[in-house]
Amino acid sequence: MKTLVIISHPSILESSSQQFLLSVIPENEGVTVHHLEEVYPDGKIDVDKEHRLLEEHDRIIFQFPFYWYSSPAFLKHWQDEVLTDGFAHGKQGDKLAGKEFGLVFMIGVHEREYQAGGRELYSISELMKPFQAMAHKTGMVYLAPFTVFQFAYMTDEEKMELLINYQQYLTNSNDDSLEAKEAWIIKQLQKMDPEDIGQEADNIIQHTIELIEENRMSINELKVVIDQMY
Amino acid sequence: MEEKNEWILQQLDELYHKADFYDKALIKATKEIIIEQDKRMFQMEGELDGTLWSPKNWYD
Repeated sequence: MKTLVIISHPSILESSSQQFLLSVIPENEGVTVHHLEEVYPDGKIDVDKEHRLLEEHDRIIFQFPFYWYSSPAFLKHWQDEVLTDGFAHGKQGDKLAGKEFGLVFMIGVHEREYQAGGRELYSISELMKPFQAMAHKTGMVYLAPFTVFQFAYMTDEEKMELLINYQQYLTNSNDDSLEAKEAWIIKQLQKMDPEDIGQEADNIIQHTIELIEENRMSINELKVVIDQMY
Repeated sequence: MEEKNEWILQQLDELYHKADFYDKALIKATKEIIIEQDKRMFQMEGELDGTLWSPKNWYD
């Protein structure tokens, strides 16, 4: 699977959350990062190039800071210019159909405020309706948004969870099951280089992989036995 | 918790303390997967035992 991360951020170098996410983008896993303000400093979008990029990828992500309940203006401009009739919608405009569409965005306010009764009143699902409608119109599968609330207050442990969850959002199948997560973790463990971590650590990692696989077999066998009892 | 799972979690703990931030994140996520697997196996074994010992099955 190939993932295109379209970032819109007018001052990305000053954003610690964006820099953190950029630093943990998985290598050699088919992820392309495309920062619009950097590629088009004059604001003039090469529509043909954008169409080619979109066609080459299976999962399209918009990544941005949350400005006035939406994205920065340049991402809206990109939508207006790139998602044209005949390409993204309308007659024969089916080039995005069947792709997956996800949102990654950073919010400075606590998560609990985005609900009825909270200070922001509306939920993220409600506020993201225009993006969901865009995915619907273009035939894309809308993924549950990946939200990062109050990055500045995160502990190291929370940042570790963020790192893993973000990498999974970009590269794992759209499947939140334990089994899918096991497969993803095993793939990552297999990529650890014995020369970097040492022989002893590598033995533990190999043993861990075998154990996760054994546990999975046991879970599947138990499922079969329980199903047969009813 | 199953002994083999407990043992590997201890080994991973030792690796965690020596690892850099990126490997720490992966080790932490790996431990959480094993803990969840262990919990599910424990619950399913309990369900299996409960079903086997249910009186409604004694007369079949």
